[in-house]
Amino acid sequence: MADEPRQGGYLRQAWLVIVLALVYGGALAATQTALGPRVAANRLREAYREIPKLVGLDGEANIVPIELTAADGSQRQAYEVVASDGTLAGWVLRASGQGFQDRVELLVGVTPDVSTITGLYVLDQKETPNLGSLVAEPPFRDQFRGLSTDQPIAVVTSTPTTTSQIRSVTGATISSTSVAELVNRVIEDMKTPLRRLRSGGK
Amino acid sequence: MEMLITLLQIAIGAALINNFVLHYFVGICPFLGVSRRTDTALGMGLAVTFVMSIAALLSWVFTYYLLRPGAPLPAWVWQAVGGKSGVVIDLSVLSYIMYIFVIAASVQFVEMYVRKFFPALYKSFGVYLPLITTNCAILFACLEIMKHLQDPTRLWGLPEALTLAVGGGLGFTLAIVLMAGIREELDQCDVPHSLRGPGIALIVAGILAMAFMGFAGVDRGIETTVTILMK
Amino acid sequence: MSKTEPTALERFTNGILPENPIYRQFLGMCPTLAVTGAMKPAMTMAAATAFVLVSANVIISLMRGLLRPHLRILVFTLTIATFVTIADRFLEAYFYAMSKELGPYVPLIIVNCIIISRCEICASKQSVGVALADALGMSLGFALALASLATVREILGSGSWFGVTLLPAGWPHWTIMILSPGAFFTLGLLLALVNWVGRRRAEAAALRARIKG
Repeated sequence: MADEPRQGGYLRQAWLVIVLALVYGGALAATQTALGPRVAANRLREAYREIPKLVGLDGEANIVPIELTAADGSQRQAYEVVASDGTLAGWVLRASGQGFQDRVELLVGVTPDVSTITGLYVLDQKETPNLGSLVAEPPFRDQFRGLSTDQPIAVVTSTPTTTSQIRSVTGATISSTSVAELVNRVIEDMKTPLRRLRSGGK
Repeated sequence: MEMLITLLQIAIGAALINNFVLHYFVGICPFLGVSRRTDTALGMGLAVTFVMSIAALLSWVFTYYLLRPGAPLPAWVWQAVGGKSGVVIDLSVLSYIMYIFVIAASVQFVEMYVRKFFPALYKSFGVYLPLITTNCAILFACLEIMKHLQDPTRLWGLPEALTLAVGGGLGFTLAIVLMAGIREELDQCDVPHSLRGPGIALIVAGILAMAFMGFAGVDRGIETTVTILMK
Repeated sequence: MSKTEPTALERFTNGILPENPIYRQFLGMCPTLAVTGAMKPAMTMAAATAFVLVSANVIISLMRGLLRPHLRILVFTLTIATFVTIADRFLEAYFYAMSKELGPYVPLIIVNCIIISRCEICASKQSVGVALADALGMSLGFALALASLATVREILGSGSWFGVTLLPAGWPHWTIMILSPGAFFTLGLLLALVNWVGRRRAEAAALRARIKG
């Protein structure tokens, strides 16, 4: 191909890039319009599917996202779960922090008076497969159900002796401890604001 | 002090625990291609770190102010033209194109800088310097920053983004220099014919990856250590 | 002096083994190591890459008369980034769980050297039919390479293939195969295997040629 003369400046040479940018931009805008709502719905669906189960409800519930100032001053998100008959079924709290390998995201369900934990669900984790990742499985998670929030939960490697102890996943002590620590911290931070909200608002 | 703990966790996470090359597998091409001698490896590592930092800075600025859902600039423009209030503008569909241009611009800038101030290094790089544009590691750093600008309650500021870039780049440099040192020794050994070149390099990389797995959990003590040291 | 350019059929068969993007050209290693822990993510990645490669090759080939030498890389990159965004959004919309598992590796297709090199070597110079064949051949080669790696890692690491448990429950899972060292070891050893087989076949062909001649 012969050398292109540089007359007409960059605009003449770059016309293809500009046209392409506009065409592709249009294509992307169309993609976003068509698929955007579905993607947003997907993101909500996982959390919303689990939230009623975490407060012990079987079917549909009214989930209201709320924002509260936690005990440490930060703004936190939580979910108010209202049963079909209008009564408050419980709260679901979001917790996230460092696990063994990477970040762990949790949903913790508590009773309306924040006295008992009603469930735990792991939204996202990147722990070691077959080891740390087992914290997301029912056997480990179910241990949290029914525990009181008065005392922090401790993780032991043998059979638990008190009601505030749970057993770690074999070979994944740090992942198990991280999850328990996250649960303890979020409950400690949100206990008072939630109780205040409940007594003040209702 | 909270900030210091967070930044240390990000830095150590990116450099050691979740090393870009050995854990996330980004930046493999230069890792296997340029790691023959330790001095070129060090130069490449530092060049990548430099490009990554500039690219991270630019992508953070563009993503924070322009591309993320609820970004201030598009919202301001929307209001100025009298659009409906309460509409969240989300330009994130243009993110990948934006990041590629940012990276190409960063590489250009670093190339000019290196050519002017380190001409010998520039010559020894040859074609590998412009190839940094296709280095997965830099786009990966931009994608990580974008990931942490999605949740409005937990946004990363510029310090966190730069720490990730510098930490990740230094981790990449560490891995590539280690690899180069090992390969310098390997060149003296009698490697089976089929394994020569990328084969044995990959196996060595696997052993290095196993070694780096030992760093997992190292960042758990950061909070306590910093608290004690600051007293 | 003009060189006869490869035909569509030659381009197609080249991409599968003789110029296999991973085992021969050593391009696109990042996703190869990252998503081959199991067959499902590996095949999803192969499909996404195939979509981007075919679309980019076809579009670039249609535009090949308009490309200016010093702006062509920009045009390639713009095209590839657009198709990757479309593929990424599509996966997020219809295969959300898989999209989360693949994570940042779908956008990383943009810097997958395979696609840019095919645009440069073939699509920008040959007709749409040839570019299409080239893209299909390379995609098939890439998918086969990913499948070979993922099969080894999934069977040894989880005892399953495509999620279907194959090995008896007594088999201990070699979890290391799912983690990063396993990826490096598997690729290194499979690469050595492909090299060894290639050399044996070349030696046999040379021997046959000597006997005939």
